[in-house]
Amino acid sequence: MNAVWTAARAAIRRRKLQTIVIGVVVWAATATTVMALGLLDASAAPFDRAFAQQSGAHLVVAFDQAKVTEARLTEAARHAESSAGPFGQASIDTSDSDTFLGSLTTVGRADPGGPVDRLNVWNGRWATAPGEIVLNRTPGADSGRIKVGLSITVPRGPALTVVGFAYSVSGSADAWVTPGQVRDLRPTAYQMLYRFAHATTAADISAGQTAVAGMDGVLGSLSYLTVRDKATSEMGVFIPFLMVFGILGVVVAVLIVANVVSGAVVAGLRHIGVLKALGFTPNQVMAVYLAMVSVPAVAGCVLGTITGNVFTQPVVADAIEGFGVENISFAPWVNVVAVLGMPVLVALAALLPALRARRLSAAQAISAGSTQRVGRALRVQRWLSGLRLPRSVSLGLGMPFARPARSFLTMAAVVLGVTIVTLAVGVTMSVIAYNDAVRPSYDNRVELLAGRPPGMPAMVEPGGPPLPAATLSDSEDESMLRSLPGTASVLAVSRLTTQVSGGTQEAEIGFHRGDTAALGPRVLAGHFPDGPGQVAAPSRFLNQRGFKLGDTFTAELRGNRTQLTIVGVVLTNNADQIFAAWDTLEQLMPGTRAQSYQVGLRPGTDRQAFTSAVTAKDPGLRALPPREGASSTAVIITSTATILTVLLGAVAALGVFNTVLLNARERRRDLGMLKSIGMTPRQVTVMLVTSMGALGVVGGLVGLPLGVAVHQVVAPAMARAGQADAVDVIMDVYHAPVLALLALVGILIAVLGALVPARGAARISIAAVLHNE
Amino acid sequence: MRSEDEHDAVVRLTAVRKEYSDSVALDGVSLTIEAGEAVAVMGPSGSGKSTLLNMVAGLDRPTSGSVVVHGNDLTTLSETGLAVFRRHKIGMIFQFFNLLDDLSALDNVALAAQLTGTPAGQARKRAVELFGELGIAGRRNIYPAQLSGGERQRVAVARALMNRPALLLADEPTGALDSRSGEQVMDLLLDLNQIGQTLLLVTHDERLATRCASRVVEVVDGRIARENSLERTL
Repeated sequence: MNAVWTAARAAIRRRKLQTIVIGVVVWAATATTVMALGLLDASAAPFDRAFAQQSGAHLVVAFDQAKVTEARLTEAARHAESSAGPFGQASIDTSDSDTFLGSLTTVGRADPGGPVDRLNVWNGRWATAPGEIVLNRTPGADSGRIKVGLSITVPRGPALTVVGFAYSVSGSADAWVTPGQVRDLRPTAYQMLYRFAHATTAADISAGQTAVAGMDGVLGSLSYLTVRDKATSEMGVFIPFLMVFGILGVVVAVLIVANVVSGAVVAGLRHIGVLKALGFTPNQVMAVYLAMVSVPAVAGCVLGTITGNVFTQPVVADAIEGFGVENISFAPWVNVVAVLGMPVLVALAALLPALRARRLSAAQAISAGSTQRVGRALRVQRWLSGLRLPRSVSLGLGMPFARPARSFLTMAAVVLGVTIVTLAVGVTMSVIAYNDAVRPSYDNRVELLAGRPPGMPAMVEPGGPPLPAATLSDSEDESMLRSLPGTASVLAVSRLTTQVSGGTQEAEIGFHRGDTAALGPRVLAGHFPDGPGQVAAPSRFLNQRGFKLGDTFTAELRGNRTQLTIVGVVLTNNADQIFAAWDTLEQLMPGTRAQSYQVGLRPGTDRQAFTSAVTAKDPGLRALPPREGASSTAVIITSTATILTVLLGAVAALGVFNTVLLNARERRRDLGMLKSIGMTPRQVTVMLVTSMGALGVVGGLVGLPLGVAVHQVVAPAMARAGQADAVDVIMDVYHAPVLALLALVGILIAVLGALVPARGAARISIAAVLHNE
Repeated sequence: MRSEDEHDAVVRLTAVRKEYSDSVALDGVSLTIEAGEAVAVMGPSGSGKSTLLNMVAGLDRPTSGSVVVHGNDLTTLSETGLAVFRRHKIGMIFQFFNLLDDLSALDNVALAAQLTGTPAGQARKRAVELFGELGIAGRRNIYPAQLSGGERQRVAVARALMNRPALLLADEPTGALDSRSGEQVMDLLLDLNQIGQTLLLVTHDERLATRCASRVVEVVDGRIARENSLERTL
């Protein structure tokens, strides 16, 4: 073994550059794989762990107290594996409090434990007496001014003092009080919490629900699968494209390693012969070549695993903030798979060429290089020599045909490089396009805030300047805005928080009046609400609550229950925001004025002059600063895609680098001869770069459609994982100019990879090559 | 204005010294080769004869001294300048032929002209002429691996002559050939010199030197030990 190790070390020293290439390639592939697998594992882990710790409820159901009895609910609950409740459930309005907390779904529970939904009281204590309330907050979350001791005033009810913070991973309530206290809050519903023996699929949950709640009086229900999807969607969106990047990275690494090792075998034929002549067995020769590649592979793998961890941890930490689970990372198997799996994969990639080294006879190997090689691809060379091309170019174009297998492996690396870049550009453009669609640009519109919102103490930041009352009425303001010369369209908006029965399912309803087609969200299906009792919602709202177009649900608005029918699906990213026509607000709260106006500006209108004109007519209207464009997820995705593109593009270029290096070494004598008959260093460079440029062109032409095809799979998968709509804007991102630029990526990778070794080869000493035989 | 003497000298080495990190390959070598001469450089291994050839071919640069070939001071030329010089002014023949395996014999030869910008058709026409002149007309579409050693060297000679160089350099041109092929190559070089081609040979082979050269320069330890003018043994 000693001799093998000595020979392997010598081979590593002799091929420093190739050793570095293997190390870097494996490093990049491992880092990408660790990121992909780590996020895949971590996306579900925080929720699952918290859910298990708390014996989370597989199903939360709210029943109408007027239609069911406690005894009936208790009887039906026998069909569940375990259950908790019935608990009295009330919705309390905090708009009269100094601190506005919205509408709180409040449940009366004697203690935080029990067989289902064991709450984690992480700050303060549980409510044990009337007048005490515990709020649902994730552990460690910064609640600002909301602290233990805060007093909450309930309209026509008691004052409640916050005595603690608890966390329910099932999202069963916003707050808890004692069972006695909830009776004073005029509960209208019973809450039941269930766990089922089989709860893996939506069908399991549905079957369970039928068994325990198949009766009249169900106000709403919430499956843990919905909560889980919502909780994991933030990280889930990363997984499809990271998985693809990881797989492509591994494939590129395998191709390049195979290329490096087969190149080393070809270049080291005489070396193999010498080893065999010295008495190395065929297996020992094979071991030398495997060891030669394994050393940098292991080093690259360890470094790649560390890098992958370093890059993945912040993303995981950012995404689990809301779970109330601390110090969670991804499972150790990810690192084990990376550290053990990648070197094995690399060794397998090296096996074929190493087996070739094993098979070679000593005489055959040792005579390599001293005999004239038989030329290859001769017809191609002859055809090329007749073309009206500079000879350095035609010679370069013919070079790939001399080593077809090597050229194929190199081209495959370029193809994958182009695929990766095309995919990354597509994903980035999809994310940007989606972001633009759900967060329309405010460059051409002005948002004006109008006085105190109905039922809310303030919409301005605490400590900010008080907003003067509007001097004009709502209709006068709208007319005034429409009369201004720069106005193209006007949308009056008022927002209210509503409770969707079944759990802590708060949502904000935006009531729109005016030019909804121009300034409202884009309608994907159905229509925008045009009558009372109608709402339009984004897909995320529907998915997370188990609704579909045409469904009707119960909502509580300012203490009144109302039925809302979903008539449209709109494109927005906020899962808790739905839209209704002004008629609905008029019906619920007659005479409410708009909280804000959005004004679409005509092209060329000066924003500053426009807002000055508005405030001159009504000082109560204040223009808000233009909204920020990109979401944090979009920023992370685009930056991750950029980093991975550069990384894996560079890896593909390293594959080219390695091939040119091998070609130049093998053709040292040819290059020396060409220089001796007058080929300039520049012509040598052009020849070698051209040889790879040809592969780059083909690689680009193959990789481009491949990348587009992968994007057509990855983009919808990302949208699904993020519970967003796979709309045309994220699919149709490859337009002609982009495709034209992407077609050049293959050449770019090839030229960048070839340039350095080509220039090195151009500096080759003719004297050293041709005379030192 | 160059003197008449300078005008006739194809090669003029003046006090050329070449040092490597731990040795001196050439130590103050001065040598002049007139047009039409055939000079053989001989000497034991490591004496500096190949270094001398490299200096004349512009493949290496002297540490000091000057190398002027056909009026070009090689010490002042850039890498590209040297490449252009080699392209137009010299032809080289190597011991191991150094033909490109992937090109036919004809394309190997035509390549030298194509590098000067000669169109492919015209280059091939000239190459065909040379194949005829060198007696290998029937072998022009064969690839190097299928040629005998002597034939390969003839192809190499044809390539070297392609651009009608002022100086033909040959580094052990018969060193890798059997005696019969070696004889043929010697005849070829002699014929070329007799029609006016200036030759500079580096060889161990005394027979080659006496057969082809009109003057033998013996290099020992980087210096010219002696020079002899010869009556060639035809």
